Amino acid sequence: MNDKRRKILDMLAQGKITVEEAEKLMAAIGETGNGTEAAGTDAAGRRSWKYLRVQVEPGPDSEKGDRVNIRVPFKLIRAGLKFAAFIPREAHAKVNQAFKERGMDVDLARITPQDLEEIVSNLDDMTVEVDGKDKVRIFCE
Amino acid sequence: MLPMIVRFKVKEAGRRGFGLWFPAILIWIVLAAVMLVLLPFMLLAALATWGRGPGPRLLLIYPLLASVLWNLGGLTIDVDQKERTLLIDFI
Repeated sequence: MNDKRRKILDMLAQGKITVEEAEKLMAAIGETGNGTEAAGTDAAGRRSWKYLRVQVEPGPDSEKGDRVNIRVPFKLIRAGLKFAAFIPREAHAKVNQAFKERGMDVDLARITPQDLEEIVSNLDDMTVEVDGKDKVRIFCE
Repeated sequence: MLPMIVRFKVKEAGRRGFGLWFPAILIWIVLAAVMLVLLPFMLLAALATWGRGPGPRLLLIYPLLASVLWNLGGLTIDVDQKERTLLIDFI
């Protein structure tokens, strides 16, 4: 049993998530009982995810009760990132400054298309869960 | 895959909602015509700014735009607030 699956089952046992939510998460990590998976595998046997999902659900203390469900195809992210080449050099300093103000020391001019591709291809390892007033989940499927 | 249908739904509290299944192919046809008309101007701009401007990058706009549009299929944005509901789904 892998760590992700164990974590989901723990959350289910603790009552933090419902059975339906657990099923969705299992599907997202490709651990469904019937063997169906949202994503396939590439030539290297590595799971190739199709979508990046962002889900926001209201928690018990939520005042607004907003729900957000966004599904973005990875191919669209890759295609969109190529537009980074159109950022004029004059704007690089401003973008770098904005990154720095948010605590990220990034030099935009030094980011290559290969770097961006590497970032996107490694997003599949990412699962973010934030439990506050609202529950936020970011994962791949 | 190029989305063929765009599903659009908006609903505000106390008002009648608005839902639409729009054949996106109509948008693509119009967009293709506009892009075709603009192509000579784009090429001229690229040539004029080749040495000292964004010339080479201008040539990439068409293939990049096509790549983004082609991969829109599957994009879903679903926002459900107390007063407003919005759904945009590229199918």
